[in-house]
Amino acid sequence: MPRGSVATEAVGTRLQRYRAAPWWPNAATLVLAELGLGAALLVPITFSDPNGVDPYLARLSVASVLIAIPSLLIRRLEPARPILFALVAVAAAYTLLSAGPQILFDLFGQRSGSFDAQVFWSSVAQAVGTLLIAFAAWRTVAPAWRPSLRMRHLGLGGLAAGVIGSAVLIGLGLALPAGLLGRVALQPVAFGRDFPLLGPANALQAFSQEVQFRGLLLGALERTMSPRWANVCQAAVFGLAHLAISYGGPEAPFVPITFLVGLAFGWLVRRTNSLWPAVIIHAVADIALQFGIVQGLYGF
Amino acid sequence: MGSDRHRRALTATVAACIALTIVLIGSPPARAADAWWSPVALRGTAITRVSAIGDTIMVHTATGATLLSTDGGKTFATAPATATFPPIDVVTIGTERWEIDPAGRVLHVADTAVSSAPQVDPGSPDLGPGAGLIAAPAALPGVVVAVSTSGAVWRRGQDGDWKQALLLLPASLVQGVPRITSITAFTEPLSDAIYLGTDGYAVLISTDGGDDWIRAGPGLPDSVSSLSADSGRHAVYAGTADGLWEHVLQNLPAPPAYQDAALVWRWLGIGAVTLVASAIALLAMIRLVPRRLQA
Repeated sequence: MPRGSVATEAVGTRLQRYRAAPWWPNAATLVLAELGLGAALLVPITFSDPNGVDPYLARLSVASVLIAIPSLLIRRLEPARPILFALVAVAAAYTLLSAGPQILFDLFGQRSGSFDAQVFWSSVAQAVGTLLIAFAAWRTVAPAWRPSLRMRHLGLGGLAAGVIGSAVLIGLGLALPAGLLGRVALQPVAFGRDFPLLGPANALQAFSQEVQFRGLLLGALERTMSPRWANVCQAAVFGLAHLAISYGGPEAPFVPITFLVGLAFGWLVRRTNSLWPAVIIHAVADIALQFGIVQGLYGF
Repeated sequence: MGSDRHRRALTATVAACIALTIVLIGSPPARAADAWWSPVALRGTAITRVSAIGDTIMVHTATGATLLSTDGGKTFATAPATATFPPIDVVTIGTERWEIDPAGRVLHVADTAVSSAPQVDPGSPDLGPGAGLIAAPAALPGVVVAVSTSGAVWRRGQDGDWKQALLLLPASLVQGVPRITSITAFTEPLSDAIYLGTDGYAVLISTDGGDDWIRAGPGLPDSVSSLSADSGRHAVYAGTADGLWEHVLQNLPAPPAYQDAALVWRWLGIGAVTLVASAIALLAMIRLVPRRLQA
């Protein structure tokens, strides 16, 4: 028998074995959906202008919905449903956040308030959208595959983990060289002006992302995968999702960092069996980024 | 069997981390735009002081030499012994003057044509004896930014209210907080910008009277000793540890406006890619996702 045929047969046998594994539907769904979303996001860069006409977040949301809806209608795709719902929550809710200020201004003009107010209400929309999709997932996914969101309890241990984790994160942020992190200065005037609205907005964004990644996605993956692999998979998606924030722009180098952060958050959520410690740390980190890092990161 | 699986999982995780670290190291540095600053002259020379008025640029080097250029920085020669730098603790905009006295108080003369007697600005902070960094952009009347000896940056709003505007954070646990070395703004109403030079964070800029600050040093060495805004040439000069640099006022690039068929084709292309990518992913899922049960 030719060597090529032997190799093909070996691959085929291995594929057959994998396809019999319980983790196969989730893993295959995740890989194929990410490839589809990645292509939808990145291919148009070759001929479109990200700063001009290209509504890339809307495109990503449309693609995620187009891929997810058939899972409600086609029986063969039923196992893919929880993963696809998680990806819709990530993409569509982030589009709500990103496009929210412009939508509010188009709808209400000057009555939409300051930019801070627009960001706050967009963050509310992101959180509500995420919860609605989580509710839809809860209602439409079979109990055997239904993700555990772990939102029901926050014990003293979880609270302590959140507080200590936040302190460790801030300490690490201050210990790292400023040039590596982009940390430069605090701005008391800007902080006093922006915090009342942007503080809660950042906390809501952190809550939404934790529900999406450590709630829906990790919760769905760990139904069929080992905890370690489920955590690695959700962290990888969490890292790659940061590519979309600025179309592969300034955030691209932070994909590996966000992957590691995602791993830590996933571990913490599993360890405490609660989403809230990760929400607390994520919120503190986002607020610190907003007020201490971003100004030094982008320059002009 | 179980431990073998764990070992493989661990190996894969470590490999993924290494691959991602390589991506991180290999990624080009994040840059939002082309360099803002370009070198003018004296690369390799540490400059501690710069003053620019039109084509005349005077610099003081770390070795103690004072050099003068009368051709916009193309050539430098030793400055005459009588050459002096303008004071940095005084800023004059038309007939209005702001200054810091030796005790560290902010003094104001509303109209030098009427009275030259300076008054302490009500509500102004005590900057500390020896403080001497002050700037006031002509484009924002009433706005003043001054630096205290402790390194805190204060800003005066157009309503006359003084507030602490900026606190630099440590560069690292070893290096501590970088020193603020200079501050400048255009004394003609060309730009709202206020520039702050630091020995570690290059230049920070504020365009809203000192409320918000962002780093504005792409292209510039981190160690900036002196800044000078020249309204005549619409340029800011920076004396750094690696020579003299210049930033010329420029408009931010605007997104291109497509008004022809190119816009339609782009939209169609974007829509087609979205549909095709989604359809291919979906078809692959229908084919591959269902679990095949073993016979």
